[in-house]
Amino acid sequence: MFSLLTTPNHNIPYLFAAYTITWVVFFVYLFFSSRRQDELKREITGIREDLDRLDSSGSDEKP
Amino acid sequence: MEKINKTQLARKSAVQSRWYGNRRRTFFLVFALTLMVVDMYLIFVWAPTESVMGHVQRIFYIHVPMAWTAFLAFFLVFLASILYLPVRKAPAWTRRWRLWERNPIWDIVASSAAEIGLVFTTLVLITGPIWAKPIWGIWWTWDARLTTTLVLWLIYVAYLMLRAYSSNRSQAGVYSAVLGIIGFIDVIIVYRAVDWWETQHQRLVVSFDRFDVASDMRLVLYFSTFTFLVLFGYLMWQLISIKRLEITIRQTKDKLSMAKIRDARR
Repeated sequence: MFSLLTTPNHNIPYLFAAYTITWVVFFVYLFFSSRRQDELKREITGIREDLDRLDSSGSDEKP
Repeated sequence: MEKINKTQLARKSAVQSRWYGNRRRTFFLVFALTLMVVDMYLIFVWAPTESVMGHVQRIFYIHVPMAWTAFLAFFLVFLASILYLPVRKAPAWTRRWRLWERNPIWDIVASSAAEIGLVFTTLVLITGPIWAKPIWGIWWTWDARLTTTLVLWLIYVAYLMLRAYSSNRSQAGVYSAVLGIIGFIDVIIVYRAVDWWETQHQRLVVSFDRFDVASDMRLVLYFSTFTFLVLFGYLMWQLISIKRLEITIRQTKDKLSMAKIRDARR
């Protein structure tokens, strides 16, 4: 049933190259986009901390 | 001290995590990966070997679906760009549905689709020559289909560069929307090039009314197309949520720095 192995192998390196490049590109793209999202999440945490600091300094000044 | 809209940031990120939440997206990614595994089984095990070209013909099962998905992506760019461009004198009856108001979400959808469409077109331009070398004996030829596809790739590279290097975001959105609309003309030229000119590239083997491939091969081609469409859907979801988060962060940072300046002046 595994036709790739039962029929003569010619041009297999081209087939291998096309599929390898395609999946590598997709996985690299997925990796970088999820890394970008993690950075944004960290940035949101940083902003929240900044806001907390500003809030607390604002409430300290109140009489 | 002026209160920063902290609740707004919390609400926005909560809404985004609800709609663009990690759990749903992870499930969607797992679904896409499962489809990919099944697709690989169908391509390498189930699909018959083409009698003339041999195994290298199996590149067709990713090359064609990626081209179709890229076309869909650029159609989305075209549609979202039309919706993003403002019309000053909108007909009164359309105002009820707010169809003519400039909504930033269309700009986000257009730019996300352009970016992903470009990834797919890049892969089409890579896998095409890999197939062409053993079959035609050459990596590349300046025939109509190949050349117009390269032009398409350059148009959307220009689209993304225009957005990346423009200092005025609103203006970049409008200019890129115009480019997104004009650029779609090339998608139609790419699709019809094999009929309009004598090309080295094969004519359409599957279209709305023509099926010049064996039924087994056609089934694998359709399944592969579905797989790439799911992958495209996942990437769109991911990128839209990233861009929305970027906007929320930028707006909040602006407000934060304004408040800090006001605070320092007091």
